[in-house]
Amino acid sequence: MSEHIVSSFDEDLKRIGGLIRDMGGLAGTMVADATRALTRSDEALAQRVVSDDAVMDARQRELDERAITLIARRQPMAEDLRAAVGAIRMAGDLERIGDLAKNIAKRVGAVGQGTAPRELSHSIDSMAELVLAQVGAVVERYMAGDAPALARLRDDDERIDEKYTSVFRELLTYMMEDPRNITACTHLLFCAKNLERIGDHVTNIAENAYYVLTGELLPPNRPKLDETAAPAA
Amino acid sequence: MKPMSSTMTAVAEPAPGAAKIEVRNLDFYYGESRALKNISLALPERSVTAFIGPSGCGKSTLLRVLNRIYELYPRQRAEGEVLLDGENILGRAQDLNLLRTKVGMVFQKPTPFPMSIHENIAFGIRLYEALSKAEMDVRVEQALARAALWGEVKDKLHASGLSLSGGQQQRLCIARTVAVKPEVILLDEPASALDPLSTARIEELIDELQADYTIVIVTHNMQQAARVSSRTAFMYLGELVEFDRTEKIFTSPREKRTQDYITGRFG
Repeated sequence: MSEHIVSSFDEDLKRIGGLIRDMGGLAGTMVADATRALTRSDEALAQRVVSDDAVMDARQRELDERAITLIARRQPMAEDLRAAVGAIRMAGDLERIGDLAKNIAKRVGAVGQGTAPRELSHSIDSMAELVLAQVGAVVERYMAGDAPALARLRDDDERIDEKYTSVFRELLTYMMEDPRNITACTHLLFCAKNLERIGDHVTNIAENAYYVLTGELLPPNRPKLDETAAPAA
Repeated sequence: MKPMSSTMTAVAEPAPGAAKIEVRNLDFYYGESRALKNISLALPERSVTAFIGPSGCGKSTLLRVLNRIYELYPRQRAEGEVLLDGENILGRAQDLNLLRTKVGMVFQKPTPFPMSIHENIAFGIRLYEALSKAEMDVRVEQALARAALWGEVKDKLHASGLSLSGGQQQRLCIARTVAVKPEVILLDEPASALDPLSTARIEELIDELQADYTIVIVTHNMQQAARVSSRTAFMYLGELVEFDRTEKIFTSPREKRTQDYITGRFG
């Protein structure tokens, strides 16, 4: 894309892009740390996730301020307008991902007090891997201007939903096998739900990023495979 | 052009959105130089269409073809067709005075006649209609009210048109245009010499007038085009690059040249 006649306009847009990149990186770190803290009962690492969330919030405030100022001062049009509005929305989703990672981190202590958390959380671990790959890829693909990859990424959320359904059933089985597992498994269920929600925010980001890059909306017919709300699990 | 009865409406009046003006394969020459290249577009009735593009792109030239005002100048000629309600206005048979009452024009710089406010309006009407003084007063008031100027000038109708502020003068010019009951109003940068409040009043006026008139506006101010028009045509080097719904042009234009221009990337 060629540059603006007014070069400071490009600098403003670059700074907003830089903040999205930072927030994307931080979101990835927070999700990785939170799940590692959960599977290893590492409370110090969990604490770091909680403090990272404050950094995430500050980044989002800065981005909002810059994007709103850009709209007021530059009156952006077309792709610039989409970039400014898209950045505000993507930052909102990234901030929520941070919140959800923090929620997972806050359960580390509670899960750790139950029995045998390590085996129970094994399937969560593989779900977290899927989510983490998505979080890492979405901002990277946006920065690379790769719209087709974003469309695929959006559709890949289906795999997270499938995984969530299977984790849900697995944890339910553990609870039925041994009621002493109930406390830990309930906490883990919430963690799994948080991971699934993170996947939904990645989907939102992918949709927004796709719109920013192309000016087109992705068709709404993504398959939905979270079956935990269906009867008779 | 009021419908005669409700049953006639469908036949006599095209539905809003139907083309009032249709430009077909239009070329325009200033002497040997070709300023418009094979322009075709349809301007929907009772809506605002904006022409945008860099200086010299042909947008004002295209506007000037729509009421053949270019004929006031030597060595300028248009080729192709411009259909107003299906009739080619570029034809030899076209009565130019009649055309210009149907297609009124307002210019960048307010151009009130050096006469009273009342007379500025009455002058044009008198060319086409013989009205009594009472009838004329009613028509002058209607025109000034239509241009949202009546309240500000009703107590000084006999003051000179030139005594008004720039924004008021421009609304006086719009009132003068509206007074002869046109069907189309052409606006050539109507607010570029006005302060933001006067500009807002003109834009509010454009918004109201589109209920009754087909309006075409040329503007360098893209935010203005985005605010007032429902369709926008982007022109460049005498060509029509893109013509689409205004929201489409300003959020996700199809053509790279449009995008570059409206985002300020043109070199």
